[in-house]
Amino acid sequence: MKNGHYVYEKIFNIFYYNLWKKPWPLWIGAIVLSLSNLFMFAYARALGVFPQMSMWGSWFYNLIGLNVDAPFTVYPLTPIYLDMHSMINFGILFGSAIAALFAEEFKLRKDDWQGYLSAVLGGILMGFGTVIMPPCNIGGFYSATMALSFSGPLAAIGLLIGAYIGGLFLKWQAQRAAEEVDFDSAPIGNPAKKSARSNQPYIGVIIVLFFIIIATYYFSIGKPKFTGLLIFGAIFGITFQRSRLCMASAFRDIFISRNGTLMKWILLSIAIGTIGFSILKSQGYNQMHFILPMGFHTILGGFIFGIGMVIAGGCGAGILWRSAEGYIRAWIALFSGALTAGSWVFIYGHHVGEGWLYGKPFSLGHHFGWVWGTILILLFLLCFYILIIYVEAKNEEN
Amino acid sequence: MRRIKTIKINNEHYQVDMRGWMCPYPKYVVEMLIKKLNNGSQMDMLVDCPSATEDVPKVAKKMGCKVPEINKIRNGEWEIIIQK
Repeated sequence: MKNGHYVYEKIFNIFYYNLWKKPWPLWIGAIVLSLSNLFMFAYARALGVFPQMSMWGSWFYNLIGLNVDAPFTVYPLTPIYLDMHSMINFGILFGSAIAALFAEEFKLRKDDWQGYLSAVLGGILMGFGTVIMPPCNIGGFYSATMALSFSGPLAAIGLLIGAYIGGLFLKWQAQRAAEEVDFDSAPIGNPAKKSARSNQPYIGVIIVLFFIIIATYYFSIGKPKFTGLLIFGAIFGITFQRSRLCMASAFRDIFISRNGTLMKWILLSIAIGTIGFSILKSQGYNQMHFILPMGFHTILGGFIFGIGMVIAGGCGAGILWRSAEGYIRAWIALFSGALTAGSWVFIYGHHVGEGWLYGKPFSLGHHFGWVWGTILILLFLLCFYILIIYVEAKNEEN
Repeated sequence: MRRIKTIKINNEHYQVDMRGWMCPYPKYVVEMLIKKLNNGSQMDMLVDCPSATEDVPKVAKKMGCKVPEINKIRNGEWEIIIQK
């Protein structure tokens, strides 16, 4: 049946069904994430989301008359719409909303008071975690490891333990709720009804147009980097939403479900990025980018952040893209996280990286050379991979 | 404590409503509910977390159940049919 209709169907399947209706395989998500991060580093900077959100918190305090400086000196107090780094976060929100609408998966997802309380608590823990580690799961582990910062592998230790504790809490809640279910005494009722066609893809088109207008506006006022980062952010948002690449569950599932599928793909994603980052850095490009303070605080911050991201329902990027899918729990975690991290200078008296708490940044590339630095990171990733295989194999054995 | 809304459609067919429970709650809960379900019974689990449409069937199949259908009910909501 090789006629016009067939050709139309083929194009439709590739550009609509595969892209928006079917979930993306994890490996595609992992590779897109890695390459986008590498290209964005070459363009402007690597991916990280929480320092910008911390600045939003401080900006909000100043708006209501409380003078607090932003915790990260490289992210100074700026009106949010004039902050280049925040464009990544806005892009993620746009990308995830567009993907969810095209996939007909957007829904205002309400929780109960316990869920909202978990979100507040999770946000507070993530807020403290991000300034103590620093910064968040994506910046402090994913991007930092790629950038050959010694803090990346250390953060992973804390995140792994924290996510396990958070996971135990979620599992306990699930267990208690499941114990209450009694099939025999359940009331008689009718099955849920299915509803008619969805108009969400049309709303998605409107959001795309809105995104294009904003991106074009920044370009027209002489801020092309703002436009570029908005587009990169949107690619991240779409990738996270379509492939369900959730860093919080990657850490949580290793010991709770004894399943490391997600983390194994993330490790591969980091390995690809590491090679790209070290090639760029060895040529003299932005060598200290994402080389972060390192010490016991990295593990402690990772631990606190790890608990927070699991009970809030997503790490910094996770609560951003879930916010755009309609999760009210994510909105609350976002606010409480931003307000907590935004108050850090008031609580601690110094900026992130300054004072008694923080160690010095340690670049593996500078200390061991770019080749050995890269090999050390790849070895770390391999060890992490072997640990996952061990945990999974132990589970199968039992 | 928060309750999982469960209804009986007939003596061998139940519906468990987990809409409003974010992931990973559905995949943790389904494991415990399958243990409670009688052999030959069917449980339709309603979820609104997209990841659950992949996680829940995986757990159910691992526990020897059949998952013949995953139906979309409306925007962002699915029904996962689990037969023990």
